[in-house]
Amino acid sequence: MNLDAALQTFLVESRELLEDMESRLLQTESEAADADTINAIFRAAHTIKGSAGLFGLDDVVKFTHVVESVLDKVRDGNVPLDSNLADIFLESCDQISALVDNVANGNDAPDAALEQKGSGLIDRLNVYLGVAPQAVAVAAPTVVAAPEIERSGIVADTDNWHISLRFGTDVFRNGMDPLAFMRYLRTLGEIVAVSTISDALPAFDAFDAESCYLGFEINFKSDVDKAAIEGVFEFVREDARITILSPRSCIADYIELIRNLPEEEMLLGDILIKCGTLSEQELNVGLNAQAELAEEISLPLGSILIGNGAVQADVVEAAVEKQQQVKDAKNKQQRLIRIDADKLDHLIGLIGELVIAGAGANLIAKRSAISEMLEAGELMGNLIEEVRDTALSIRMVQIGETFSRFQRVVRDVSKEIGKDIGLIINGAETELDKTVVEKIGDPLMHLVRNSMDHGIEKAEVRAERGKPLQGTIELNAFHDSGSIVIEVSDDGGGLNKDRILSKAIEKGIVPANHNLSDPEIYKLIFAAGFSTAEQVTNLSGRGVGMDVVRQNIEALRGTISIASEMGVGSTMSIRLPLTLAIIDGFLVQVGRSAFVIPLDMVVECIELNTNDRDQEQLRNYINLRGEVLPYIRLREFFEIGKESEIDGRFDGRENIVVVRYAGVKVGIVVDTLHGEFQTVIKPMGKIFSHIRGIGGSTILATGEVALIIDIRSLIEKVQANEPQPLQLLNE
Amino acid sequence: MAKTILIVDDSASLRQVVAIALKGGGYDVIEACDGVDALSKLNGVKVHLIISDVNMPNMDGITLVKEVKKLPNYKFTPIIMLTTESQEGKKQEGQAAGAKAWVVKPFKPEQMLSAVSKLILP
Repeated sequence: MNLDAALQTFLVESRELLEDMESRLLQTESEAADADTINAIFRAAHTIKGSAGLFGLDDVVKFTHVVESVLDKVRDGNVPLDSNLADIFLESCDQISALVDNVANGNDAPDAALEQKGSGLIDRLNVYLGVAPQAVAVAAPTVVAAPEIERSGIVADTDNWHISLRFGTDVFRNGMDPLAFMRYLRTLGEIVAVSTISDALPAFDAFDAESCYLGFEINFKSDVDKAAIEGVFEFVREDARITILSPRSCIADYIELIRNLPEEEMLLGDILIKCGTLSEQELNVGLNAQAELAEEISLPLGSILIGNGAVQADVVEAAVEKQQQVKDAKNKQQRLIRIDADKLDHLIGLIGELVIAGAGANLIAKRSAISEMLEAGELMGNLIEEVRDTALSIRMVQIGETFSRFQRVVRDVSKEIGKDIGLIINGAETELDKTVVEKIGDPLMHLVRNSMDHGIEKAEVRAERGKPLQGTIELNAFHDSGSIVIEVSDDGGGLNKDRILSKAIEKGIVPANHNLSDPEIYKLIFAAGFSTAEQVTNLSGRGVGMDVVRQNIEALRGTISIASEMGVGSTMSIRLPLTLAIIDGFLVQVGRSAFVIPLDMVVECIELNTNDRDQEQLRNYINLRGEVLPYIRLREFFEIGKESEIDGRFDGRENIVVVRYAGVKVGIVVDTLHGEFQTVIKPMGKIFSHIRGIGGSTILATGEVALIIDIRSLIEKVQANEPQPLQLLNE
Repeated sequence: MAKTILIVDDSASLRQVVAIALKGGGYDVIEACDGVDALSKLNGVKVHLIISDVNMPNMDGITLVKEVKKLPNYKFTPIIMLTTESQEGKKQEGQAAGAKAWVVKPFKPEQMLSAVSKLILP
């Protein structure tokens, strides 16, 4: 199709129309515009748009469409044509003219300046349309193009579409010829059979030659889809009843399609439309019918659609089945049992007892030296271990829920403080103990807010540093050798070491002649009463938060550390034990009392040599490879008598367990080291709650009770007792 | 003998493109620039289908449909109206007048050919 000549006509015609439009617009400025003038202006825009569409000049169509819409309002009297609007129209005239010239010059798309001018004008025009400034949708053509037909050779004759047509009596008078539609239908496939339904024919007297009384049942063989067949009857849709039934093989296809639909909850109608058996037209008819019937009886949509003949029962069945499947899958996800946390705690407690009892039984078995007994004991032991692990895993929950709360927090806070900050969440599926999850929320909240407030720089600063304007906070969780690590990172300015130091010295937290490593300096922000923010904001900077964060985390037997780089960002890592119920302990003995030190705090064990012991009256520290290691004598601390000397078990040798806590090393002097021990933590009763230095108890295989040492409170207690505070100098 | 289509639009270029498309589809085409012109062109020729714009000078499309329906020879002649989607009111007016087939502007030449061939074959 050679359109070049026609395009030339279009260009000439458009210029004429634009000139006419312009002069008429100018005319409206000097005299009141009459209907004819406005109509002529409208028609000019209308005509240009229509013709431009034919040539596929989308840019012209898009712009002119908006102009036309406003003109339409002017024509209907909804918008007065004042001088302001006339100005806009005149500018629009120029714009259209520029766009047309652009086409004349053989350019495909308008250049940026032209485009920008156009969108500016569109925004101004949209004001009259009451639309928010945005891209304007171009009228979509509604004519359904007939798809290419590919005939497959072998199709069973019964495997055809069935089209049932009942034309309205006025169809001829409306200029529609039923035969024409059938002829057109033939271009889409093969009409295998037509039977004419003449039931509606009236008695001869009442017969009107201009009316249509006939209906047709057509057996139609084609590979096109339902929408295409429906498109044939587009123009008689309102004048006729049309039912299109899919061929049987298609039913199989539909059912297959339905089964392969993604597992999403969908309405029945949507499923049927998606697989192509139902057209939207039919669905709307069905839904309307359902709404009408609703007053009398409530009928499912499926039965209405089958009743209407829009779809076959098999397909509806498959769709309903699919719906059920999706629902089942959903239910499966929700097949969770909610258990009272107390019951679970009780179970864990019992299992703890079981572990102890099992260890006790094993001990007896060993003593008895009966091999069957030992074997049975071992089997029991394995099972108990499995039961323990399973029970503990029941308490495990994913951290994702806690994390996802922060989406909202970050969004709200970033608005509040006027920074653009995004949140990235990693490792949401990481599991940890429920109690820990519950207690970690607040500290995390504080860290995130702190990062947003102090960490992420203002947009100007970020721009200067060449960073993306949007700051990023990252929450990350992962398992790392028996503990869980939760990281809060930001890509902000990083911690200001010098400022932290000067502040800490000013507040007397560290001496001026300190010798601190970078991580230790960073850690100072967790010290009580510390805050470097010059301005106290709504969020943080009051100097209590970070201290509380540290305490909360330590209460969970966790640690927190900071990595930071100036101008690049910082990462706070919280390291928590997986569970609070059972820990790896290090069993030691003082006199006849057994104590458990949490293994992850133990650095090394050394012997307390006599030389050091002799000087004990003078000092309570030793020289550990050139470092000063202060130590605490458990025997003295807990006032344990030397009865062990009486029963002869005390060989006069003492050991130091070196523990590291909060960045410092401390020695704990004990008699005997027993080694690692799976410790089931039993909380101390309320009456013992005032006792410092003890974090809980556990029961040994022998049935004896061992106390679990709470290193933190132990050190604090010792410090408090010392007339001169124990100088916890650094390693 | 090829069927004849009358295309009525005030845009010469639109008429030209539609004419090229329809002639390519095997139809004969005659053109008219407005309603008055169209009515005069209907005299003495057998036109099998009319395509008409709504908004035209002298006589608009709706009036044209009403006039055509009065002509005994054109009582059953299918009419395709060209409209923009903002003219929903016009569309109903036109359908009441007897023009049941509507094609929304802007359209592609092949869409027009397909719409025409649903109503008459060449």
